[in-house]
Amino acid sequence: MKRILSMAAVATAAALALTGCGSDSGSGSAATSASASEAPATTEAAQTGENITFWLIGGDTPQDLRDYLIKEYKEVNGGTLTIEEQSWGDIIAKLTTSLPDPANTPDVTEIGNTQAPTFTNVGAFLDISDMYEELGGSKLLQGFVEVGSVDGKEYALPYYFGSRYMFYRKDIYAAAGVSVPTTLDEFNSTVATLAEANPNNIPDFSGFFIGGQDWRNGISWIFANGGDLAKYENGTWTSTLSDPNTIKGLEQLQQIQQTASKAPRTMKDESPWLYFNDSDSSTAEDGTTTATALAAATIMAPGWAHWSIGDLDADGNRVWNDEKFGVFVLPGNDGKPAPVFAGGSNIAISAKSQHVEGAKDLMRIIFSAEYQTLLAQNGLGPANSDYVSAMGSDEFTTALVESASNAKLTPAAPGWATVEGSGKLEEFFQKVAEGGDVTALAAEYDEILTPMLNGK
Amino acid sequence: MSTALSAAPKANRHIKVGKIIASIAAVALAIVWVFPVYWMVNSSLLPNAVLNSPTPRFLPFGGSLNNFRAVLSGGTFFPALKTSLIVTLTAVVLCLLFAFCAALAISRYKFKGRQGFVLAVLFIQMLPAEGLFIAQYKMMSSVGLLNTAIGLAGLYTAAVVPFTIWMLRGFVAGVPADLEEAAMVDGATRTGAFFRITFPLLAPGLVASGVYAFLQAWNEFTIALVIMQKESSRTLPLWLRGFVQQSNTREVDWGQVMAASSLVALPVIVFFLLVQGRLTSGLVAGAVKG
Amino acid sequence: MTTATVPPAQRRRFHVAPYALLIPAVAILLAALAYPVGWQIVTSLKQYGLAQQFGQPAPFVGLANYLNLFRDSQIWAVVVRSVAFCLVNAVVTVVIGVALAVLMNAVGKACRLILQIGLLLAWAMPVVAAMTVWVWLFQWHIGVVNWLLNHIGFNFTNHNWLEKPLSFYLVATIIVVWMSVPFVSFSVYAGLTQISPEVMEAAQLDGASGWRRFTQITVPMIRPVLMIVLLLQIIWDLRVFTQIRLLQDAGAPLASTDLLGTYIYRVGTGSSDFGMAAAMSVFVLILTMVLSAPYVRSLMKEDAA
Repeated sequence: MKRILSMAAVATAAALALTGCGSDSGSGSAATSASASEAPATTEAAQTGENITFWLIGGDTPQDLRDYLIKEYKEVNGGTLTIEEQSWGDIIAKLTTSLPDPANTPDVTEIGNTQAPTFTNVGAFLDISDMYEELGGSKLLQGFVEVGSVDGKEYALPYYFGSRYMFYRKDIYAAAGVSVPTTLDEFNSTVATLAEANPNNIPDFSGFFIGGQDWRNGISWIFANGGDLAKYENGTWTSTLSDPNTIKGLEQLQQIQQTASKAPRTMKDESPWLYFNDSDSSTAEDGTTTATALAAATIMAPGWAHWSIGDLDADGNRVWNDEKFGVFVLPGNDGKPAPVFAGGSNIAISAKSQHVEGAKDLMRIIFSAEYQTLLAQNGLGPANSDYVSAMGSDEFTTALVESASNAKLTPAAPGWATVEGSGKLEEFFQKVAEGGDVTALAAEYDEILTPMLNGK
Repeated sequence: MSTALSAAPKANRHIKVGKIIASIAAVALAIVWVFPVYWMVNSSLLPNAVLNSPTPRFLPFGGSLNNFRAVLSGGTFFPALKTSLIVTLTAVVLCLLFAFCAALAISRYKFKGRQGFVLAVLFIQMLPAEGLFIAQYKMMSSVGLLNTAIGLAGLYTAAVVPFTIWMLRGFVAGVPADLEEAAMVDGATRTGAFFRITFPLLAPGLVASGVYAFLQAWNEFTIALVIMQKESSRTLPLWLRGFVQQSNTREVDWGQVMAASSLVALPVIVFFLLVQGRLTSGLVAGAVKG
Repeated sequence: MTTATVPPAQRRRFHVAPYALLIPAVAILLAALAYPVGWQIVTSLKQYGLAQQFGQPAPFVGLANYLNLFRDSQIWAVVVRSVAFCLVNAVVTVVIGVALAVLMNAVGKACRLILQIGLLLAWAMPVVAAMTVWVWLFQWHIGVVNWLLNHIGFNFTNHNWLEKPLSFYLVATIIVVWMSVPFVSFSVYAGLTQISPEVMEAAQLDGASGWRRFTQITVPMIRPVLMIVLLLQIIWDLRVFTQIRLLQDAGAPLASTDLLGTYIYRVGTGSSDFGMAAAMSVFVLILTMVLSAPYVRSLMKEDAA
């Protein structure tokens, strides 16, 4: 029996040794640790610059821009910039674990504009007030600067902005005899008319397709009626769903949900364009045409949605068709565009970064005229207002810039990420969409949200 | 005699009808169970426009490997496959080794603390993992095993070892110790006896437990999500998840998502079909003790 | 002579060998779990949020998290739902699993192989991949399930399966059962092949009906396997997480579809209240132990025998 035991021990050790080798050669960390252990190499590293890591979230930043950053960083700093792409769905768990860890923190990270206040308030980011003016100062998008500031010091700065506007079916608007609305009230009645008219006789047709849980688009009606989600008074945040203006907006939204939208009550803001395109392939081999995928005359989506809208070409790609599709900005009742939710993200240096100089070099590159222009040319709203004009002037850019001009951010409360993470907003908006008593619901959720907003 | 003769064909016919019905049911149920798998493969061969149509297409006519080409062109699949293979195989080997030793201990010996150990093994499986990730991250970071295959393999081994011990216990108990001793009486050494007699009898059990460990380690993604944050150290489930999420912010490219899913499932399916025969006989052997 | 020498040797092994054999397993379990579990217990006694994660001191609050937990009416709803979901799923899984195993045993080799491979393929599907396919099959607008139901005469056009909690749980049950049945079937089938054909034939000659043979002979013979399989299903189904979370991601009323796993996740990762999440985890662990205690006791008795 002892022999078996020693055999097992040997085998265990061998297995560990084997896998140890495997993982080392696989990760490439062997090279770094080896060079770090040699004294001359360390001084050399200081001369040649710092190797830093930059987290981008999602695929919004095109490859050309990433290549540009890596190349520029090498030239300016001499070190290597590693860009890691993270996904939006898991970013909170990753930032929560990595940012406090000096050994593994990204040096610079992108962060969603609505998540910025929470992480800024807990001290996750480096105070970069000293370079604020150098990076653009008051020319930077101020709403985004505000969510990344605490007590007048800047921590997280804007990275890029996006905005949401309306896509509509010209053919269906024409068939139903309605025109593009110019005020919010007109919009609300137009989409109800469209759903009622349903000129193509499609089951469950929506004049305006908006999911029940879709608060990111839904808050536009709150903002447009002068309401808000929360207010800051005497050092505390209060949820303001019960504010009369907020209630007014919510009631309009409920009206739309009840009369114009047949989208699922459980749907959030993902992929509404799937119900907006024709389904070109629904004609079977025997020539019978069944119901089409088309189910909406109007959708609200971020600007890049236009890549997913259009007629199918032979290769199965969508090609925008001006005859059939159009865009407009959600109008307010005051002649200005309605304030919609401002999409986009911030960027910050980790407070635990071990390579602050390198991180600052990267920030300088990102806020340089060249990079801001590159962002603009790629359809991403640049942080610095000087470069917005570089975005071009096609109908999508025009709509983006126009809707962004009056766009509004979620409250800069320390607990905002908690509010989003709790799923309570989805719950509340779903209940409103289902026709619940708006006033009672608003009071109920104010109670729940207020403590969360203040981070307890 | 005559009654037996006349009854036999009748009973046979009865049994035959029953058997045909059972066979039809078996095949029908196999189809039901396999349908989602089939649907994944079928969809991976079709263009996205067809998939987004409300009329499903049940056969991949006019299909192509374009989705697979698009998925593989990213160049991220093979590194993830490599990481997954290293992590999974390490975890399986360690797990079988450790669990085998432990199973030997608890099924061949009566000792103080044995019951306690068996209970602990059972209770560890009841631990909810959703709240553990911060502590797991801190631990792995402090010992420098973050983003390493060996670190993740260690966590997986610990996660799977309890159940594997539980499973192997039955197999080891099923091999009578007398057999080994008999061989020794015939002049074999203890090691020789073990390898010639006991080990072959245990092989199916090791295969069955190994398959279980393989599946768990291959599929896990909540621990990996926190431990393997670097793009370069992603495992296949993380790669697939990244793929699904990426599609979520743009148009959901179901065809590519299904092609990616097929690629992740493929190695497991091949592995399963290879060990299929042994797996079943392994489970049979395990059932002796239960 | 031999009888005189063997017992002392055995007695010596008695003391050292089993413990030595346990070392690797115990070592890896301690290494991987001791710190996280200890951290969890300590954190459950603290006020620990995102600020504490970023270095603020975490004040000890004693049992406050536990008290809040017991006062929270929602957690009790979640507990009740989870236990119900777990029991229903475990029982349905075992019943279907046994039925399929009996079927495997009854049909010819070819059909058995077809059924076995079908189950193996389902078993081999990675969870993330399987969930993606299932979510898509039940999709409200272009899902195959609605299409099929429409074609056999029901009206399920644009039916949203995930909108109402009950139908959400129906979908979740279908998926969980689909995933868990193969393991149960194979284990039970393995048990069935151990029943000697002679016993069955004898019973048949005695005129016992099929059902009687099943309940009087088959079930008692495979009882040990059934017990373990049922226990494992209960443990696994009570902590079901991935399937529920991915279904919720596809769009569902969150509060009324949360089970223990997703609830802990929402409180911890979602709302950054890690102290509370830790308290809940400890509570769930104790709850599982209590629920399975009678079962475990009888299992241990059999084991000792």
